[in-house]
Amino acid sequence: MLKAFIKLTAAAIAIILLSGLFLARNITSGFGTMAERNGDWETNISTGSQDAGVMLKAAVALGGLLASTQENSMYYRLSTVAGEPLRLNCRYKIEGKDYNADWWSITAYGWDNYLIPNAQKRYSFNNENLIRNADGSWIITVAATEQPGNWLPVGSSGASRWRQFSHQDFDLLLRLYTPGVAYIQRPQSAPLPIVTQESCQ
Amino acid sequence: MKLVRWLIVIGVCAWAGQYALALVLPNLVMETVYALGGKSIGYNQFVVNRIPDEASRSIVRPSPDLLYAVCLYDLKDGPLAIETPIAERYWSLQFYQMNTDNYAGVTNQRAEKHRVGSTMKMTLISRDDDPTTYGGTVIQSPTDRGIALLRASAIGNRAAQQAALDASRCHPVD
Repeated sequence: MLKAFIKLTAAAIAIILLSGLFLARNITSGFGTMAERNGDWETNISTGSQDAGVMLKAAVALGGLLASTQENSMYYRLSTVAGEPLRLNCRYKIEGKDYNADWWSITAYGWDNYLIPNAQKRYSFNNENLIRNADGSWIITVAATEQPGNWLPVGSSGASRWRQFSHQDFDLLLRLYTPGVAYIQRPQSAPLPIVTQESCQ
Repeated sequence: MKLVRWLIVIGVCAWAGQYALALVLPNLVMETVYALGGKSIGYNQFVVNRIPDEASRSIVRPSPDLLYAVCLYDLKDGPLAIETPIAERYWSLQFYQMNTDNYAGVTNQRAEKHRVGSTMKMTLISRDDDPTTYGGTVIQSPTDRGIALLRASAIGNRAAQQAALDASRCHPVD
């Protein structure tokens, strides 16, 4: 009797732990299969909405709590470039122009989902504070070391390293506030900034 | 053979179990945020936060381009009145229930641009209240508790946005 009880208890503990691992794997991979992809960016039009599925709601609870529905803002996340996770030892170039939204911003977040500590206290660029080319286009360089122009510094996240489940060291989040119809109806093809990896050390 | 059978049962249950965990996780996270937040800022009042930076670690993915004010509401003792001036630049007021759903919201952008310069007055009621007994704008919360979140642009000169948030109120109806 006691042996059976111990077996069942051990099985129950194993099930709970494994369930947690399966869930962590599912939701730390970002929106994963729940996402609409647009190049390397991914979004989910149900974020924040009552129609969102169980896994998306869990992912939002951990990685995007208090996100708004798409009518107020759309969120495109980028954690890989050409299939490679974003790394602190690499330099990335973001090229873009203006987008159909009341305003937009690009923010770098650590793997722990918080703003990345840096001496410049620069965590994002928005449509108003960029240095632009004569035609209105712009380039942001994302790197851990100082860069000319629009430099978005990245570095170690604030949380302890052992808690890192994700493959990437950081990610980028494009927020489009009160986005135009193209983003709401065709999120997978609406115009977005292009991100490329320039070099790695 | 018996061990393999056990392992298969555990694997299948764990696979299904992740969905059960996913189902309770949003409520668990919101309850935690609500309880911890309540201890530090209280309930049924707007509290304006400083502009997020690397030290802002109470809510994930804060935007460094936004000013935030939050009201953790509890409607068990009756409805709340919300008054908030609407600044010219981006402003929005979003309502979240305890499973994280953004169930209602207003903004001052696009079709709602006419709100700029006015003071938004609304009544927040529980699901058991009858909305027809209240005048003006009424928001019915699907849960007695939840979060009302004000966002305002922090880009450029933010004095007007800051003033609008500072003047916002969330309090029991008199």
